[in-house]
Amino acid sequence: MLRFALTRAFLAIVTLLTVSLIVFTLMELVPGTCAERYLAFKNTSGSQISLADIEAEKVRLGLDRPFMTRWGSWVYDVVVHGEFGDSCILRLNINQLLADKFWVSLGICLAALILSYAIAVPIGILSSSSNNAVANNSLRFVSYLGLALPNFLLALIIMLISTVYFGDSLTGLFSKEYRDAAWSWAKFGDFLSRAWLPVFILGWSATAFALQTVRALMLDEIGKLYVTAASARGVSGARLLWRYPAKHSLGPVINSLGFDLNRIFNELPIVALILTLTEAGALLFDSLARSNDQQLAGAIIFLLTASIVALNFVTDILLALIDPRVRRGLMG
Amino acid sequence: MFKRKTATAPDIDQKAKEAYFTASQGQLILARFRSNRTAMIAAWALIIMILMGLFAPFLSPYDPTIAGRNDQYENGAPQMPKMWDENGFSLRPFIYATERERSMATNFRWVVKENRDERLYMTFFTRDWDYTIFGLDFNVMGHQVDVALIRSNIHLFGVEGGKIHLFGTDASGKDIFGRTLHAIWTSLAVGTLGVMISFVLALVIGGVAGYFGGWLDSVLQMITDAIRTVPQIPLFMAMAAFLPPEWSSEARFFFISIILGLIGWPTLARRIRTHLLTERSQEYVLAAELCGASSSHIIRRHLLPSFTSYIIVDLMISFPYMVRSETALSFIGLGLKDPVNSLGAMMQNVSKADVLLNYQWYFIPVFFFIALVLAFVFVGDGLRDAADPYSDSKK
Repeated sequence: MLRFALTRAFLAIVTLLTVSLIVFTLMELVPGTCAERYLAFKNTSGSQISLADIEAEKVRLGLDRPFMTRWGSWVYDVVVHGEFGDSCILRLNINQLLADKFWVSLGICLAALILSYAIAVPIGILSSSSNNAVANNSLRFVSYLGLALPNFLLALIIMLISTVYFGDSLTGLFSKEYRDAAWSWAKFGDFLSRAWLPVFILGWSATAFALQTVRALMLDEIGKLYVTAASARGVSGARLLWRYPAKHSLGPVINSLGFDLNRIFNELPIVALILTLTEAGALLFDSLARSNDQQLAGAIIFLLTASIVALNFVTDILLALIDPRVRRGLMG
Repeated sequence: MFKRKTATAPDIDQKAKEAYFTASQGQLILARFRSNRTAMIAAWALIIMILMGLFAPFLSPYDPTIAGRNDQYENGAPQMPKMWDENGFSLRPFIYATERERSMATNFRWVVKENRDERLYMTFFTRDWDYTIFGLDFNVMGHQVDVALIRSNIHLFGVEGGKIHLFGTDASGKDIFGRTLHAIWTSLAVGTLGVMISFVLALVIGGVAGYFGGWLDSVLQMITDAIRTVPQIPLFMAMAAFLPPEWSSEARFFFISIILGLIGWPTLARRIRTHLLTERSQEYVLAAELCGASSSHIIRRHLLPSFTSYIIVDLMISFPYMVRSETALSFIGLGLKDPVNSLGAMMQNVSKADVLLNYQWYFIPVFFFIALVLAFVFVGDGLRDAADPYSDSKK
């Protein structure tokens, strides 16, 4: 078991390193360096600058070192100090900028993930065992609609209804009085009263996907002989479904949680844009679309990916604890 | 694996049986696909939409760019052709003439009124703006190259003495009907290009990993998995942000397709690899190897044909994701921009409260988008079921 966990941890670290290389390369590819930006700012504030100044600034920021060295030191700072450096555009520390915004985003996404499975698992299991063609077909249609109906449209419709009938557009994550306040229970309550909408919208297409996965896996299991044998022994109804096929089909579901989180992160910037949220998704959008702030964007993408890798690691370990076949599979 | 073969029950007459056994894999898949009613309906819907996109210039009465704007009818409501009204019946469909007015009475806003006494009759096969279908127009070393399959100025319909807007007009008076049709084509083209690029990458990377195995496979798998872990849309956004804003719309179009292709390959590559891994331990591969065939020969002549149908199905399934990604990018303003008519760019206009409350016809392209994605998903699903040789016995 320990060996399994160590192998998995090693693989996760390798994945993270590869991702950090990709992200760092992307950051480097953006035209213009940090040195030029700093000095461009100084230029607007009145002082004259020359090419030599840019070179000096490059040396000061360490931009004259080779690419791989800079990548190494970036990774070192992130891992050892948890430090993403400064944003060249905003001239602010990225950790301060992101701080709780990232945790808010992660919380919303995880809540959406939990919501989607809380709906999808019972309904998926029930529908796989029922022979009601109308119900099954409409369920299939709803699942597909989860893919086809864009999240932003759903958000717009809900906003429209709420604006017309309740006079509140439901946008943003906090009411005015709490926006800049420090975290407190009152602020948290206010946050919860607003956060359900992004959670619901992000969970909508995730639910559709999860429903399809659960149903397909259940259908594969339910025809197998051990299920027939169990029902021959007199186990029936919900007890039969839960104890036998559901147990087997939920293994792969746990395994795919990481990719579900990935999908939810995909929707995050768009939903954030529509609902004018003030969290990491919106910050990512701002840093890319408006200010071209590669340090900030890189940090956000890296953090999102890191949370997916972490979730993958946790689910792998969980699965190995539950299912001995998984442990042996990797060892043998 | 010996499974029950219910499809060849003895009561089927001899001829059908013979046809079944001698049928190629493609014919079998087609036959199974045809018996799936939902997938067939979706396939027809898809074909109709593709044709609508292809013949968009012929079907749309006005140029979808700013050149074809109707400055007398901005933010105009859809006009439905009628055959009769309180003034009597007419064999030719007609719409009403409109007048614009801005005065004290309308609070100094332009208000369009229709004049029910003045009818504008529809005409068919009208001559209007010039267009090309399958046309290319580029500049090679100073020479202007301009080729096209069809060059014409005939349009399916128009209206006498005015303009007709079936889906209404947008804020600058562009015809939404024409724009939607052109947008379908653009979105399909971006999707196709993206799928092709990711397909080639997936084939090479997945093929090499699956065929050679060993450490090469491990390294390639590691890279593939790493790319698969990064959330796609943020990555798209990061890459699309490099686009210089002054680039022409054609250059943007190609760059976006390339980005979609560069990021979309890992899923497909993984499937190809898994398939190759199982297939390469089969005896026919060993036989070919013993005969002295080179690896590239075995891959091309033996392994690839063994799963062409699966590749086609996979491509079909990944298509809606491409279209969706393009739409998402354009929607947040990082993808294609307004002069190019893509579904995402058109949906950008929808998100304003003003539109929601006053100009609901802006939503029409959204329904086309939903229909397009749904059709692709249903066809892809039907194809997947049809390509699975055991799908009959499973049910």
